[in-house]
Amino acid sequence: MVTIAAIDDSSLQLTFVLFLTVVVITLFTALLTAPQRDEISEFYLGNRVMSPLRNGLAMCGDYLSAATLLGSTGLVALTGYDGLMYLGGTTVAWMMVLLLIAEPLHRTGKFTLGDTVALRLPRQQRPVRVALAVCILAIATLYLVAQLVGSVALLTQFTGVPSGTTRTLCVVVIGAFVILYASLGGMPGATVIQIIKAVMLIAGVLFTAGWVLYRFDWNPNALLERAADRSGTGLSFLEPGLRYGGTVSNKLDFLSLELAIVLGLAALPHVLMRLLAPRSSGVLRSSVLWAVGLVGAVCFGAGILGLGATALLGRDAIESTDRTGNASVLLLAHELGGSVLTALLTCLAYLTLLAVAVGLTLAAASSLAHDLYSEVIRKGRASETEELTVARLSGAVIGILGILLALVAWGANTATLAFLAFAIAASAILPTIIYTLFWRRFTAKGALLSLYGGLLCSVLLAVFSPVVSSAPASFYPEVDFAWFPLQNPGIVSIPLGFLLGWLGTVLDKGPAEDSTAHEEFEVRMLVGADD
Amino acid sequence: MPEFPPRRDDTPTFPLPHIEQTPPARISDHPEFHSLRRAQRRFGTRATVLSVGGFLLYVLLSSFVPAVMNQPLFGRLTIGLTLGLGQFVIMGVTAWCYVRHMRTRVDPLARGLRSRQHENDNRRARSAAAPPQGAGQPLQHGTRGFRTW
Repeated sequence: MVTIAAIDDSSLQLTFVLFLTVVVITLFTALLTAPQRDEISEFYLGNRVMSPLRNGLAMCGDYLSAATLLGSTGLVALTGYDGLMYLGGTTVAWMMVLLLIAEPLHRTGKFTLGDTVALRLPRQQRPVRVALAVCILAIATLYLVAQLVGSVALLTQFTGVPSGTTRTLCVVVIGAFVILYASLGGMPGATVIQIIKAVMLIAGVLFTAGWVLYRFDWNPNALLERAADRSGTGLSFLEPGLRYGGTVSNKLDFLSLELAIVLGLAALPHVLMRLLAPRSSGVLRSSVLWAVGLVGAVCFGAGILGLGATALLGRDAIESTDRTGNASVLLLAHELGGSVLTALLTCLAYLTLLAVAVGLTLAAASSLAHDLYSEVIRKGRASETEELTVARLSGAVIGILGILLALVAWGANTATLAFLAFAIAASAILPTIIYTLFWRRFTAKGALLSLYGGLLCSVLLAVFSPVVSSAPASFYPEVDFAWFPLQNPGIVSIPLGFLLGWLGTVLDKGPAEDSTAHEEFEVRMLVGADD
Repeated sequence: MPEFPPRRDDTPTFPLPHIEQTPPARISDHPEFHSLRRAQRRFGTRATVLSVGGFLLYVLLSSFVPAVMNQPLFGRLTIGLTLGLGQFVIMGVTAWCYVRHMRTRVDPLARGLRSRQHENDNRRARSAAAPPQGAGQPLQHGTRGFRTW
């Protein structure tokens, strides 16, 4: 935790004004573009005739959270090489989406992932839809709490550890904005804030990275040399193992984390929902290409920012402000551009976590309203107006749930929560997506087993890991029930999720699905109903 | 079982003039459909294994054989850092290959099958409409003659 206020008061005031201005403008635009008619397709998918660039920006905005901007740059600043590897994983994750998932899912999808699975397993779609909704709700809530807790952590950079009232106020205000955007604006509103955020994020990161390089006369080698000199660890700063080195379990932990990040992205509910938005799969392809390029550029810039923070400020200054390094970008901005740049980047960080939270809330709300309410509870007989009301209400409920959980768990580590969400996505939802799209024999029993099994396995392993007990930074440092040595469950839970899906299918002796269902699904997946 | 309405149904519904033989009744039996599936699946799997597996291999190498990765190449740039930058290059190349492959190998096949599917649908709709009208023989004759021969 932070002991002293990192940054001066004037930039906090400036940040406040800037953030309010941006939020008010975007909220206004979001309400103007909000769905005017009671059409669920508009609420779920938004404007479907956007250009590939704008779709790509929205995807990039949905994906890059404050954890990338603050957390991973901090990781680079403190651990050098290991942090850079982490940033690489963040980018590589998009390849899986581009090459395997995006177009087949788009051709077979309608509003939610549940629709795709229902097209493939029409007879037993209801239990699968329930399981999908449960997993999506778990992922979205965890990730939403991570964003809200992140807003408190960000405030801490300015005021020191905030009082209970300040903390509550911060979480409630951000949470209220999230609910407003998601429930009133729907997907069109979320798209507005994603695009604005993505443009600001890309411009801000690349501009600051350029400034850092300018300070070193555009010579990357000088930057590396200076960063290694001032890192306090010398050359080993540019060698692997500073953070995840030493013991084998440490190294496996890192592999586990990378596995969850690389595979988890393709199964994050808000990213999946974004993939369904473009009208044709040609537009989708170009959109994902844009997203890959933009995310790559931001991650590249973030690496330069992290190295620059160490090179210009030194490890001691960063670590004395915040042990986790989350303050490094803000300190760097203060060193380079004074309180104006600091305020700009802080505002950017707030906007980033707000936008990601909106995307998540919307994805969870659409899954609850469409999969759970409309298709399971009302068995497909709900009217559009009814479903829309449920979607708006569940957006509010999820937002309030997130606020309450964030107030209880405000001391939690943002990165830990986010990584757990990635692990659940990769081990519960990804096997179902892959099997649904590419395995002919896949049955509903396999889907149920891998969804519930992957979810349970990753949560249980996290509970019995050093994240929850025994380690000094855990929730219960005094007790020790951590028999699972790794902090990230991915390396065990992801193969297990795939294995359970296979096992459930092989052992399924019930009545088989219609073989025409799979044929129709495959024709639709490859040929498509549209261009 | 919910029937998903087709996304957009405003494509022209005229039959294609140049079809030499009667195509299989179902698109999924068509040989072109199988080659389409093979083309898409094979490339997707290979490219994913190359880019994602390559990255995971890089992480493993960095963790378990740091001695190799720490060889200096160029100033402060080690083999490990260069390979890290190389990941971005591999991603760019893979994405470019993917787009080229889809544009040249997959899209034309899919487009052809799609128009064939439309044509099949039209024929089915026409033959379904025929039986109720008992004296539809000359009418049906005329349309069939136009299409196949």
